[in-house]
Amino acid sequence: MAALLIVVFSVILAGCGGVAVREALDQSERLPGQAAVAAVPFYPQEELQCGPAALAMVLSWSGLPVQPGDLAGEVYTPHLQGSLQSALVASARRHSRIAYPINGPEELFAEVAAGRPVIVLLNLAFSWYPRYHYAVVIGYDRPAETVILHSGTRSGERLSFRVFDNIWARSEYWGLLVLPPDQMPVAPDEKAWLAAVVGLERAEQWQAAAVAYQAAAGRWPRSALSRIGLGNSRYALDDSAGAIEAFREAVRLDPASAIAYNNLAQVLAETGRIDEGLAAARRAVELGGPHQDSCRRTLAELLEQHSGPRPGPTR
Amino acid sequence: MLRKMTKSISLFMIISFLACNLAADAARAGMIGTETALQAIGREEGLSIVTAFLEREDVRQAMTRQGVDVLEAQKRVAALSEAELHRIAQQIDQLPAGGDGVGTVVGALLLVFLVLLVTDILGLTHVYPFVTRR
Repeated sequence: MAALLIVVFSVILAGCGGVAVREALDQSERLPGQAAVAAVPFYPQEELQCGPAALAMVLSWSGLPVQPGDLAGEVYTPHLQGSLQSALVASARRHSRIAYPINGPEELFAEVAAGRPVIVLLNLAFSWYPRYHYAVVIGYDRPAETVILHSGTRSGERLSFRVFDNIWARSEYWGLLVLPPDQMPVAPDEKAWLAAVVGLERAEQWQAAAVAYQAAAGRWPRSALSRIGLGNSRYALDDSAGAIEAFREAVRLDPASAIAYNNLAQVLAETGRIDEGLAAARRAVELGGPHQDSCRRTLAELLEQHSGPRPGPTR
Repeated sequence: MLRKMTKSISLFMIISFLACNLAADAARAGMIGTETALQAIGREEGLSIVTAFLEREDVRQAMTRQGVDVLEAQKRVAALSEAELHRIAQQIDQLPAGGDGVGTVVGALLLVFLVLLVTDILGLTHVYPFVTRR
């Protein structure tokens, strides 16, 4: 009886599924009616290992051949008997890949139509009895109203729009795009992209970060932040000349960026160009802002270096 | 034995704490990080450097409680930004962890089995792969 009530209640609550998914395709004029991503290898999951399996599939597609077993240690959390979203994100970064968030059917289908697989978090059961599961969307078929996924032990499983929408909506349409650092999402948001690249810095994947910032600089020619990121990554890679070039570009694009001047000053000074460095450090302090303490400290240090090692009369 | 282990763990914690401090100092001495530059535009309210540091520690400890080894937890946390950790730290014990749903449901109560079977047939859920619905 209770079960029946619950079922009836659920039907009332979630009676009309599939609408969001169908509308996303119908409203977009650019998306084709059918799409299938080529060359996504299928790795059937072992028990509870859908996270490592899903990530291994997209990493392999992106050009890094890995097996689910290689990733379990980085992704799976034993006591939870599953994998957290943040662990997938962190693991992708540790393998020098961009982890870019996907929200909702429109973004999902745009990527799939552009030939990219997307990891989705599904709740196969209910919010009061959750069964979370990761799968990889590899295609869709508007006429047949199906979404095609590598899921669990099933390769190329076809789910109706209705079922897929019902179970994806229960994870609030969470998706993850994993890309090599030189490739961008179909409609990238500058801040979301830079945040994803900052994640690569966090994981100390400096080479990949530099490549991704370079891509950002190409995509948003007026973005000073992408040049600051590029400068910082090159600095971490011991490429002083490249870092100076990037910071110079940053101050040209945003002459009010104290951070860009401060970092430029630091690299210039480290390469022995103290006078130029001092000028930039002074400019950073003049500009003020929330980081003026750091800028002042940089200036003080440069002044010390300037007067310190120089031979000559003291006092 | 246990004592020795605790000792080596706390030593590890002290060293990593020091390492964090050193890293922060290094940033202060010269270069300002990209993450800071990015946050300058839309820094989350009330997210200070101290909270960010404590949250990183909280999340790391929660991970080790959940069975991830200490070094690995450190690496997982290190690869996340402050904003990401801030979101996680708020709800660390209620986050969804994708398992597989199928194996765990096999042992579920008959009632739950029947409910999910019906909802699968209705297309509301997708717990049992043998239920295919168009």
